[in-house]
Amino acid sequence: MTAVLMAMIAALLIPMVEAFQDEDIWQRMLAFASIATKTSVMILVVSVMRDDWMIGVVGVLILSVGNAALMLLAHVIRRLSEVMEEY
Amino acid sequence: MSHSAITDSYIYVIMALLPLAALMLVIQTSPYQALVIRGILGAVAALIYAVLGGADVALTEALVGTMLAITLYAVAVRSSLVMRLGVLSGEEVRKNLHWRPLLTYLRALLNRYHLRLELVTYDDVETLHQALKTKDVHGTCVVFGPTEAGHYPDEALSDGHGSPNPVPVDTPESPYLITLRVPRLYEIFTTELPPVMAQVQALGDDGLDDLGTGDLQPVLADASPLTEDD
Repeated sequence: MTAVLMAMIAALLIPMVEAFQDEDIWQRMLAFASIATKTSVMILVVSVMRDDWMIGVVGVLILSVGNAALMLLAHVIRRLSEVMEEY
Repeated sequence: MSHSAITDSYIYVIMALLPLAALMLVIQTSPYQALVIRGILGAVAALIYAVLGGADVALTEALVGTMLAITLYAVAVRSSLVMRLGVLSGEEVRKNLHWRPLLTYLRALLNRYHLRLELVTYDDVETLHQALKTKDVHGTCVVFGPTEAGHYPDEALSDGHGSPNPVPVDTPESPYLITLRVPRLYEIFTTELPPVMAQVQALGDDGLDDLGTGDLQPVLADASPLTEDD
């Protein structure tokens, strides 16, 4: 189980490098989506590993809320790029 | 449960992600990019809090620290990092092709400072000047000299908006006059906007008060020495 978690941490580094290198804001949003989902799934894995239901419930909540924050931010950025290309 | 969890080795690896994300956030210069990185930092922080056993702290970090903070900051950055430029509605700025090189250049210039350009139209010169005085807009842009309408330096502007020194065709001075009331914007415009694109003057310079009367000719005479400094 720890090996699975280590593999997930290594996979988490890929979007972090992507977010650091790519200047495009949508590429960064993609990396943010990837990281938000990966961290919540890691919380779920930890909760199963420890048989701790409290952390499991929080993991599910963070999984849904992380996506909600992503959608809100994406909406604001999309409106902004529409305003800039209006003319 | 928690005693054996603290000694697990993966916790140290997860902990190392937090300063990494924080370093990425600190070295960002663009406000929107920094917001996205802040979301990444919040996700990693929530993971660490949950793994260390603070389920309530992790939930608060995800709800307030990431979602609410990012949304509020995005709205604040969006409404504050903007330059409002007042123009006359009779000139049909948005449709007129003559304006396009200047607007493209201004957008590229302001984009380097993470600002965006917003055009506000006014019916006549008087209301335009009043809007500048009441701080409704950050600057105004007018075309002076109606007789010059026939020869805008089109060729020089259309292919030269990316190059630092566009070659003027027949008129050495641009017909556009930009009046700014923000000192920092004036500083940016005088150092980076070539005089062939537009002439720049600050609000409060002599002769500007005559602008309200609709007589633009004295402004032209007073504005030209300003741009010769560049």
